[in-house]
Amino acid sequence: MTDKVLIVDDEVDFLNVMSERLKTRDMEVTTATCAKEALKLIDKKSYDAVVLDLMMPEVDGLQTLKIMKEKNPDIQIILLTGHATVEKGIEAMKLGAMDLIEKPADLNTIIDRIKHAKAEKIILVEKKNEARIRDILTHKGW
Amino acid sequence: MNIHTDPLGAAGLAFYSKISASISHEIKNSLAVINESAGYLEDVTLMTRKGVPLDPDRLGALASTMLKQVQRTNTIIKNMNRLAHSLDEDFKLVDVNELMDLMAHLSERTVVTKGFRISVTPADTPVAVISHPFFLENLIWLMVNFAMTVCGESKTIGMAASKAPTGAEICFSGLDRLTEENFQDFLAQDAGMLVGALNAACHGAADKAMMTLSLSGDIHHPEAVQKK
Repeated sequence: MTDKVLIVDDEVDFLNVMSERLKTRDMEVTTATCAKEALKLIDKKSYDAVVLDLMMPEVDGLQTLKIMKEKNPDIQIILLTGHATVEKGIEAMKLGAMDLIEKPADLNTIIDRIKHAKAEKIILVEKKNEARIRDILTHKGW
Repeated sequence: MNIHTDPLGAAGLAFYSKISASISHEIKNSLAVINESAGYLEDVTLMTRKGVPLDPDRLGALASTMLKQVQRTNTIIKNMNRLAHSLDEDFKLVDVNELMDLMAHLSERTVVTKGFRISVTPADTPVAVISHPFFLENLIWLMVNFAMTVCGESKTIGMAASKAPTGAEICFSGLDRLTEENFQDFLAQDAGMLVGALNAACHGAADKAMMTLSLSGDIHHPEAVQKK
């Protein structure tokens, strides 16, 4: 199954080249240049992973991460930053980010994290389904 | 050095470190684009070896992207260099248009990140005053940051330089939320200290939504060093 990725970054050139590289690796890539656009997209469609730039105009990456997690707690978000510090990493993880990667990033690292994000998402969906089935069986009492 | 023994130095260091952080972020962003573009060239090489034909238009576009980022990084570093060299001398003849332009560029990333923009209007004619370039840059940066907190719905800060009877003026406009109270609070901090050090004057006009920095063109400043 094709990995579905949403990349959010205000640097259009970066977005275009990364998008193209991921597409040549058989990923289904959607792009957004700002938080507003990204939030509209996640309302319409489910993604295996969101690659999100930390520093963006108006609504930054951490704020966007927070809102995305409120809309969908299972969403897997990988943050990209020009300067990864321990403090930023801790703050990002507390808000529910899957990972924090420093730019310029090795594409293989990003792909690895996307695959990991997809696996995490599948596990979460399976757990939810299990819980739902258990609930039905308990209440129906067959 | 600390804020008590050398408040001007401490303010200057804080300004320099914030600008340096901003510059480093910008350079990293440029490097990220160049990195991805180089990676794409690697991908294209691999694909060509597997028999996929080269797309010259795509390669041309990629080259343009990389060149654009190199130019961008070069400009960032040039501005960083100009800032660094502004500490070479104390009081000297300063081109106000150039300095205002430099500060608009150096502040741009911070301003844009917060959802604002700066609109710069240079003076019609060259305007030069005797001033301390670094302290003046520091003060303008503080004024830009303050302007963002009192800017109106347009989210546009106007910066305009002009010749004045006393020397030069830099006017910040679009400050719809400027009040006498918040302006005085602003001056009570590092900005006021810098205004004093520069032998300048700073006035706020809430009814006109603007504040003005007046720079003395006094070439007989006791510490002035005139440059040709």
